[in-house]
Amino acid sequence: MTLVVNDSPYEFEGETLVDLLAALEKPTQGVAVAINQNIVPKSQWAVTELTEQSQVFIFESIAGG
Amino acid sequence: MSSLMIAGHEFHSRLFTGTGKYANAESMMASLIASESELVTLSLRRMDLQNKTDNILEPLQKHGMKLLPNTSGARTAKEAIFASELAREALETHWIKLEIHPDPRYLMPDGMETLMAAEALVKKGFVVMPYVHADPVLCKRLEEVGCQCVMPLGSPIGSNMGLASRPFLDMIIEQSRVPVIVDAGIGAPSDAALALEMGADAVLVNTAMAVAQQPETMAKAFKLAVDAGRMAYESGLSKQQSSHNMQAQASSPLTDFIGTLT
Repeated sequence: MTLVVNDSPYEFEGETLVDLLAALEKPTQGVAVAINQNIVPKSQWAVTELTEQSQVFIFESIAGG
Repeated sequence: MSSLMIAGHEFHSRLFTGTGKYANAESMMASLIASESELVTLSLRRMDLQNKTDNILEPLQKHGMKLLPNTSGARTAKEAIFASELAREALETHWIKLEIHPDPRYLMPDGMETLMAAEALVKKGFVVMPYVHADPVLCKRLEEVGCQCVMPLGSPIGSNMGLASRPFLDMIIEQSRVPVIVDAGIGAPSDAALALEMGADAVLVNTAMAVAQQPETMAKAFKLAVDAGRMAYESGLSKQQSSHNMQAQASSPLTDFIGTLT
């Protein structure tokens, strides 16, 4: 299916949010995710299924003042 | 020196620090450790999917530093509330440094949006630390809606101009019943010492440490300055004369030697 991840199209073969983060090969520490503008708690990542054209925003913690 | 309590959390260091602008993660960690800071700020941004990002979280947590995410990038109360909720998920903390600056040129905080966001976030259970202009009325309003401290600016972010807002900081410190943390513009350890001497409860320093030629040594200098300022405040500074009544007060007895020479 095709998702929209951080405003870019992304071809995805898994099912859940956990699968997506694994496919992106990104750390999950300090990360937050919103799907269609709703924040998904970490405890729900494994059971949150993605669908065609889901708008996914992934945020990471970085240095800042 | 007394410790500082914010929302039931005890801080032994009155130097809060930002993690931005360091040349690399090693320099940042060495400086933060030298500063003995116990509260460090972080930002959130959309994940860069192409490039690898330095993992700074692990070393910060390993050294027991409390993380304070900020809402930098938010231009409205609505965006700041969303950013706060994201930060709570990402970093598992309900502490938030609330900053809303719609104007990228001066990065002046928007007082009205900040007050609206603060009230909503307090109701959602956040410990709200609002970054605001040195506005005594606004600081009082933020205290009234339940902010656990106020963070008025000394001068514009990253400007190193020191306590340009000094007269207004004095008013805020005098009136506030929550801790006052002077944030932004602190360019030199002497600025930090002055803020603490004036009775500010803490300062937040980032640029002045991060862009120093030797950040680790500068961090130590800030630690010493903050301690010195607090010690001076707690031991009772003697009053400065106002400029329109500038008259010396002798610190030695004025012995009348002339009178004895006849």
